[in-house]
Amino acid sequence: MPDAAYNAWRLASLSPFPRWVLALLALAAAGAVALAWRGLRGEPRRERRLALLGLRTASALLALFLLLEPAVQLLQTARVKNRLAVLVDRSRSMNFPVEPGGEPRAAAAASFLSDHRQDLEAFSERVNLEWYGFDRDVAPADPGTLAEKLPARGGRTDLLGALKGVAAGSATSGRRLAGAVVISDGADNAALAEGLSPAARAEVRALAFPITAIAVGSAAPRDLAVERVAVDDFAFVRNTLTVEATLQARGFSREEVPVVLRREGAIVAQAKVHLEPGKERYAVPLSFAPDTTGTFVFTVAVPVFPGEAVAENNTRSFVLRVIRDRVRVLLVAGRPSWDERFLRALLKQDPNVDLVSFFILRTASDNSGPQEELSLIPFPVAEIFGEQLRTFDAVIFVNFAYQPYRSLDIERYLPGIRDYVRNGGAFAMVGGEQSFGEGHYGPTPLQDILPVEAPEGLGTTPEEVRPRLTAEGRRHPVTILAAGEGPNERAWSALPPVAGLNLTAPLGPEDGARVLLEAPSVLVRGRPAPVVVVREVGSGRSLAVTTDSSWFWGFLAAEEGLGNRAHQRFWNNALRWLVRDPDLTPLQIRPDRPAVEPGEPVALSVAARGPDYGPGSGAKVVAELVSEDGKVVARGEGVAGADGVARLELQPPGPGAYKVVASAERPGAPVERAAAAVAVRASGPEDADAAPRPELLRAIAEASDGTFATLPRRGMPEVKLADPEVVEVGRRKDVPIWDRAWFLAGLCLTLGAEWVLRRRWGFW
Amino acid sequence: MRRRTFLHMAALGAGALAFPRRASGFGDTARLVVGQIQHGGRWNPRPTALRRLCWELMQRTSIEAGNDAVPVRLASPRLHRHPMLYLSGDGAMPAFSEPELAALRRHLQYGGFLLVDAADGSDGSGFDASARRELARLLPTSPLARIAREHVIYKSFYLLDHQGGRLLVKPWLEGQVIGGRLAVVYTQNDLAGAWARGELGDWEYDCSPGGEPQRETAFRLGVNIAMYALCTDYKDDAVHLPFIMKRRS
Repeated sequence: MPDAAYNAWRLASLSPFPRWVLALLALAAAGAVALAWRGLRGEPRRERRLALLGLRTASALLALFLLLEPAVQLLQTARVKNRLAVLVDRSRSMNFPVEPGGEPRAAAAASFLSDHRQDLEAFSERVNLEWYGFDRDVAPADPGTLAEKLPARGGRTDLLGALKGVAAGSATSGRRLAGAVVISDGADNAALAEGLSPAARAEVRALAFPITAIAVGSAAPRDLAVERVAVDDFAFVRNTLTVEATLQARGFSREEVPVVLRREGAIVAQAKVHLEPGKERYAVPLSFAPDTTGTFVFTVAVPVFPGEAVAENNTRSFVLRVIRDRVRVLLVAGRPSWDERFLRALLKQDPNVDLVSFFILRTASDNSGPQEELSLIPFPVAEIFGEQLRTFDAVIFVNFAYQPYRSLDIERYLPGIRDYVRNGGAFAMVGGEQSFGEGHYGPTPLQDILPVEAPEGLGTTPEEVRPRLTAEGRRHPVTILAAGEGPNERAWSALPPVAGLNLTAPLGPEDGARVLLEAPSVLVRGRPAPVVVVREVGSGRSLAVTTDSSWFWGFLAAEEGLGNRAHQRFWNNALRWLVRDPDLTPLQIRPDRPAVEPGEPVALSVAARGPDYGPGSGAKVVAELVSEDGKVVARGEGVAGADGVARLELQPPGPGAYKVVASAERPGAPVERAAAAVAVRASGPEDADAAPRPELLRAIAEASDGTFATLPRRGMPEVKLADPEVVEVGRRKDVPIWDRAWFLAGLCLTLGAEWVLRRRWGFW
Repeated sequence: MRRRTFLHMAALGAGALAFPRRASGFGDTARLVVGQIQHGGRWNPRPTALRRLCWELMQRTSIEAGNDAVPVRLASPRLHRHPMLYLSGDGAMPAFSEPELAALRRHLQYGGFLLVDAADGSDGSGFDASARRELARLLPTSPLARIAREHVIYKSFYLLDHQGGRLLVKPWLEGQVIGGRLAVVYTQNDLAGAWARGELGDWEYDCSPGGEPQRETAFRLGVNIAMYALCTDYKDDAVHLPFIMKRRS
């Protein structure tokens, strides 16, 4: 290859010695010169001193030169064009006017690009020009399209993300960004939503190219917005909850604004805000106490005033799950017993249970002495079984008979207890000599809700019984003591046998009853006697435990080294199932997000479980969106997969609050239903705040050592570019220069001359 | 048959008739059957006392009690069949072995209850010294402490403000607590001495210094202790407080 192919050169060393050896040699050379200087201090003639010192120095330098083996490195290099990115904001906030009454910001940006496209393309001589549109993401765009006055549609503005995105292109193209021109209103609602933080500023600096920021929009239009709603994901029923709404008001004088909080159409709280000139944000606390449990959509709304830039941002919806603070349980025991003792202790120590107990401590035939010397209170039958009954989440009868207390006339309240269960309450009857048929409940209204048939005459069995799980009991949440069917069966079989049963007959599945635990050694009408049975009754649930020694699963099991966990787990499971703990419902709706942006579909998973609480694979799932006025506005169908989950997407007709009502159907199984709620926001983040943020763009420009300009303007602002980078292509050639003969000759000459002169001038 | 034997059998038969069998269908587990701990000393100095207490419980309350206490050894594998245990003695008691103490500790920690009653009226010696030594070993983190007058055990059935027993060595009860619950109650006043009744219906011991009212208080205290074992702090529930305060005032 001819040397003309190389367009650059540089000096290089071809010495095989490492650097430290060369450094030592350099020191030795300097030492030789220093020794010469020292030896010549006695020479009175200056010219002689200079001549000898000069010759020694020349010898040292020539020796070093030969050791370094210098060479000329010829290089072939090329200058590569870097890139200039032009980024145009395509988010919806660009549809707001540049100033009140002015043209849209997107139109102003398009006009600027149309007017100055040639100016920008003039940079093509120095850099490669690239055009991008950006909102949530950044994407290449046609400059002609960017210069058209089209409405912007992006749902979010991510300035820093866009800049980092185009900078990342350097890695793939091999060409660095020399600069960027950003045309935007600066209304970032991503990483720079709170301004240019020190960390964000450092990120901008790290981009290492100057940014020419051109701000579109100078003044905020008149607008009132519910900017933010701060509330937890869940609240406790009957407990006061405060929703913190933040209003943003621009362009208003002294005005009074009513703010309302609605739950699916009904106003639950309201407040008034007095707007003041110069103040933009107002915190509005809205307090209320939810009265029912469930998942609801709430909406904070302010009126739309004339001349507002955006009407949709005057409401903001959110989903709130209202749960029980504590499960309120009524425990009624016919007499003190160990079963009652251990069940009460378990419920009392549960912080999630608000326990109200009533025990019959004395019967009419007991002779206890004067009433005033006793701590006994009248049994408040009318209060707990009448007016207060619906305040309880569950009622548990432990060996409690209604008949012996004639004066109390408890029988009168049995229809009410039946209706309470049918309407969503929960009831459990625990065995004993006063329970089931022994308590004469067979002919009463309670038989309508009991999970077993309890006729009189079946009696009891005093023998020890070792219950076993039924097929349904292996999966039902009430009888899950350990994860997995095998471990669960082993956990049950390890427990001590129970002592005695009330003999009852199982109801059929058509009655919604399911035997979970049965006594194989005790037959009733030819079938194993039920021990633990559950039943769905109307909207409520009931449970039967036909033994009075479930405490054996705790206290006796502890003696055998099993601890008392089985007793605790069983009753915790039972209580959670009775009060319909959401985690134990057979059908569950899980929206991907509790609130979706305008235009987005409502995506959700519907998880179905079979009657045996296994995955409801193959279940036909239907989900509907129901608007606040009760109309079905969207519908979706699907089939649950092997995991029992069906994925559905529902397209809401518009912003608002919607109930999601789902049902799952499997052959031979009852239809399960569930409800949830979602909010479709009236305004996304782009519409929530109409104000431009030129100050953010200025800060970005300053952080990158770029320039800042605002629109509208006549001329093209200064566009700074980083220096183009020289890139070595890779060809090189080393041309040694040390191996010329005259360098060696020169060294010999200087050494010889010094030797001759020293001899002549007497330096020996 | 000697006259005394005949009377003995007749008294037992009458007692059996007096016991209603309301809980017969479920056996003893449905009833309060106190386990009386057998130890190396004189562990049963008042053989008739607990039978009488059970009879009184049946007569006065809705508690279904067994006919009599059941002797149990702490090393017995069926100790937990009796959530309420009774420990008594007359004179010094040998120390429990570590396995016995561990079994008793586990019983109490999982919800059991122990009534300790010094039959010998000792204070600092005899059974009192032995019991204090063993209880200190049993629950070393919960030393015996005087039970406050306001404690629910004094209102679990009867409203009580003084002590009962054959003697009044200490006008208070002492107790050991596990998780806020009284797991051990100790009296030096020989409650069982006041409860003990002969086969012919005569009280076996006089009560001093209070006489028959002190005996009645002993029964009431026994009822309250049994009720506490079965219902724990039920009478501390808010619904009871206005009634109790009104009657105490």
